[in-house]
Amino acid sequence: MSESGAGSPEDRRRKNENADRAALLRIIEVWRPHAARLAVGLGLSLLAVLAGLALMSSAGLRFAGAALGVVVVTTASLRILGVSRVGLRYGERLFAHDAMFRALATLRVWFFRSLAEGAAAGLGFRKAGDLLSRLVSDVEVLDGLYLRILLPLAGACITFPVLLVVLSTVNPLLAVLVGVLFAASAFVAPLAAARLSRKEGGALNRAQARLRVGVLDLVTGMREIRAFGASRRMLDRIAQDNDALLRRQAQLSSFLAYVGAMSQFFTQAAIFLVLAAIAGVGFARIPVVQGIGALFLTLAAFESVSGLTRAGMLAGNMGAAARRVVGIAEKRTIATKPVTQATTMPADFDIRFENVDFRWQPDRPFVLQNFSLDILAGTRIALLGSSGAGKSTVAALLLKATFPQNGRITLGGVDIAALPDTWLRRKIAWLSQATHLFDDTIRNNLLLGAPQASEDALWRALDEAAVGDFVKSLPEQLDTWLGEGGVKVSGGQGRRIALARTLLSDAPILVLDEPATGLDAQTEQEFFRTLNAVASHRTVLLIAHRLTGVEKLDRIWRIAGGRATAATA
Amino acid sequence: MNESKAAIRAWTRAQARLGLRMARPSIILGVISSLLAVAQIWCIANILGPALTTLLPVSGVASGNEPIWPFAGFAGFSMIRLAVNAASEISAATAGRAARRRLRGEVLSSIIGAGPAVLQQTHSGALAALAVDRIEALDGYFSRWAPASVLWVGAPACLFLSVLWVQPRAALILGLCGAAVPVAQAVFGIGAAVASRNQFLAMTRLQARFLDRIRGIATIVLSGRADEEASRLATAADDLRVRTMKILRVAFLSSASIDCAMIIALIAIALSDGKHALAAASDPDRQYLLKVVTDSLFALLVVPEFFAPFRGLALAYQDRALAQGAATEILALPEPQPEAESHPVRTVEAHGVTIAFEDVCFTWDASRGAALDHVSFVAPAGETTVLAGPSGAGKSTIMELLLGFIRPDSGRITFNGADMQAIVPDALARMTSWIGQRPVLFAGTLRENIMFARPDATEEEVSSALRSSSVDRFLADLPDGLETVIGEGGFGLSGGQAQRIAIARAYLKNAPILLLDEPTAYLDPVTEADVFESLKRLALKRTVILASHSTAVHMFNGRRVDLVHGRVAARQGAA
Repeated sequence: MSESGAGSPEDRRRKNENADRAALLRIIEVWRPHAARLAVGLGLSLLAVLAGLALMSSAGLRFAGAALGVVVVTTASLRILGVSRVGLRYGERLFAHDAMFRALATLRVWFFRSLAEGAAAGLGFRKAGDLLSRLVSDVEVLDGLYLRILLPLAGACITFPVLLVVLSTVNPLLAVLVGVLFAASAFVAPLAAARLSRKEGGALNRAQARLRVGVLDLVTGMREIRAFGASRRMLDRIAQDNDALLRRQAQLSSFLAYVGAMSQFFTQAAIFLVLAAIAGVGFARIPVVQGIGALFLTLAAFESVSGLTRAGMLAGNMGAAARRVVGIAEKRTIATKPVTQATTMPADFDIRFENVDFRWQPDRPFVLQNFSLDILAGTRIALLGSSGAGKSTVAALLLKATFPQNGRITLGGVDIAALPDTWLRRKIAWLSQATHLFDDTIRNNLLLGAPQASEDALWRALDEAAVGDFVKSLPEQLDTWLGEGGVKVSGGQGRRIALARTLLSDAPILVLDEPATGLDAQTEQEFFRTLNAVASHRTVLLIAHRLTGVEKLDRIWRIAGGRATAATA
Repeated sequence: MNESKAAIRAWTRAQARLGLRMARPSIILGVISSLLAVAQIWCIANILGPALTTLLPVSGVASGNEPIWPFAGFAGFSMIRLAVNAASEISAATAGRAARRRLRGEVLSSIIGAGPAVLQQTHSGALAALAVDRIEALDGYFSRWAPASVLWVGAPACLFLSVLWVQPRAALILGLCGAAVPVAQAVFGIGAAVASRNQFLAMTRLQARFLDRIRGIATIVLSGRADEEASRLATAADDLRVRTMKILRVAFLSSASIDCAMIIALIAIALSDGKHALAAASDPDRQYLLKVVTDSLFALLVVPEFFAPFRGLALAYQDRALAQGAATEILALPEPQPEAESHPVRTVEAHGVTIAFEDVCFTWDASRGAALDHVSFVAPAGETTVLAGPSGAGKSTIMELLLGFIRPDSGRITFNGADMQAIVPDALARMTSWIGQRPVLFAGTLRENIMFARPDATEEEVSSALRSSSVDRFLADLPDGLETVIGEGGFGLSGGQAQRIAIARAYLKNAPILLLDEPTAYLDPVTEADVFESLKRLALKRTVILASHSTAVHMFNGRRVDLVHGRVAARQGAA
């Protein structure tokens, strides 16, 4: 969808291919600090491949020689080859894994940092779940780049000339023919697999996305489905999507099986040729001892590249994954006008929106138009409006997740565009339904708001958020592990832990964006009662579509038509 | 905890049984492929043997007089083996797909069976990830692990027997080295297996941690903590690397032991058979020498084939670990409720339905007290009954009961006198329409979303529903009118527009009972009044139960039941 481009499909494909390659190179560039290690790992792996080739052909030679009563290969050299094969393989695995772990860590931290500096802030305000889970699986796909693609490919690249040289000393014609077959098996078949998986990848992703949407619809729409007696229909629809996905996968896997069979065919053909040469059928008869050595070498060489077809399959996915990851990581949000950075930080925290115009995209209507709002430090304000009226946009602008097209926003009289992002964001504690609870301990979740907080402070914040008793009742208390997205605690408790985190930070401004969405009514009210009792000296900006009636507020604004108007509760 | 571990083990065992049954064709084909390999290698040995022996000074076999059958045999067996291998791969993939289809069906049925309550424990995104991604990741368990777990014994056994038949001495070496593999695995493995299982956990956790940080990156960035978190991620990854490498040092020994066994077998066979061949060379019987050489070559060439399945097993091992991870999540889903149908099943007349609550109690969670405490009221046919009261008074619980997601702990709900439990669910669904706080718009066109209520509706019925619900008022603003794609990833509609679509669904369905659960909770007051106006028209001549704490409900003049803390506090209009 985002792959729109002018020109024929052929042009577009080529453009994508180039972009994929550039992205892969960009990722390999991120690995530069580990270049030496990765190179050594590669070197060891090549040596191991060579030792394997040598061992196999020597074993064959040894036996053949023995049958003829000549010693072609000594027992000692066989032993040395054997030991070094095992040793090298072991060392290679260890070294390559170590290098890969380092490279992966670097890649991930690079990705995290780039994302954090670039597009991340905006993700809190957009429905980005699908985008993120796609990214997450892309990063996972990239994990295999070094171990599963680069190493075996390099192995094939070194095996190829060795095979050619050794065979050409036996019989040049045989060397050329076997070389062609090897290239077909090691390079052409994987390339075909890569091509296909790239081509099919898009369709496969779409089929999977359809299935995911269907399941999400089923899960979120259970009441509708029950009320309209549509369970059967919905399940059938999902089953159809599932079948569509499986059909595509079936096609792909049988294609892969055929490509694999083709690659095996090349192997068998090569063996056949060597055998023919040994027997002198169609070739000038080659010396049998050398012939047997060549046979074993051919066997080992083709065996070492038998996994490359699958690697090619992976590589096809990897290009697109790399392109998406690099694309997101290097995306920057740009302020519309350059502002000189402030040197002195504001001393008070009055917030003022001055005639702000804002739209998310040039081709969408304005969300805020000539929007002005004053929030004095220490007051409690509610900003109400229907969905799509621009309430959350106000929070996004305040947190510099996005920038206004016109007008300005000031904090203590200073344009926030001139304030460093990190400084500003530490002054504003933000809590919304999108606030994430991390798959970590309660303690670590809380410390995100204030890394230096003491144990006492943690408990105080939990108590203020009225969840202290609950945490105390857990066997591991603060060290209890919250599941992914906080699933091991109920929705209300999770939201309270997020509130505790917000309260723990010493930020003078709290922005609460629909903080109770998704909670049942009773829990929602309790949550707002809790909120009334805390944060008495801070600025509170509550963003909601309606009030439950229990909130204590100084002023209420209603946002409609891109402007804020004073309203009564 | 132990109990759940036992449950996981039981689940994996059951899956393994099913997996093995499905993997049977692929296993049989795998064994056939091994036998074909034997035949192929026999052909190769029969080409090389004569070639070698002809070179001997005192040649008993005329040169260039080699039999042609091994060439034909080799080529033929190769082709058959290619086909068998491809078939085996395809059938393994088929088994993987069948298993995923089955598991996905099971997971979805238990989600549907559990109803919306499942969302209180698990986020909808997590459920979708379970049904889609987690099950997708199980493919390897059924397509790779299941066949490998049998073939690692079966295939080497075939090869061993064939070598035993041809060359007992080499078979002894092969057998010893082969038997050493499990022994070595046990020696290096016992510690390493436990450690590597823990390690796998630690690794998955780190992986999960990174992915989780990416999912929550906006939260981190918006708290201004990105730098700290980045360095913490780096430290955690480094710690894990150090710990992992410690374990891998041992774990790789077990895979090195496979290499080692293979190489020892190879060298030992090459050396010992070489010696025998040398002895045979001095024997006057050329045929004997030919046999010795051919048999030895056969044994030597079988070695790599013999050890290949061991490696296959080692590679598939992580697929097994993945399955255990998924088991935990699948088992965490609630069991589908058993259908408690002690009463005779019956249907109720499809017009003019009176609903009565008789002494109904329901408790969600014992620690929070009863959500409904002996609630009784009557909603007469064709009239509107308003359930009023503050949030948390029990209105939503009544709606969940009427939708059939939960059942009263005691007391009963009757439709025209018949116990609700005794009515066929389909009949119940036919009788009721429901409009909630925020209607779910399914991915699809606007038309599909409205016809969701009645897929067989005619064009006139649809356009009449569009008029009655005032959907036609904003139809012109949509890019493709009725064919506009809405829902996830589609055109964004406002809350009021979405609610009108829900009203259109209800018109189209034209059911005698209409349940309205805070239908305007997410609307601003202007839109709310407008939507209520439409709802009032929809409510005519139907039995309506409206739960709302909005002040605008006074627009519905009807009966009213005031609920406080799960009890009926007041009734107006003789409800």
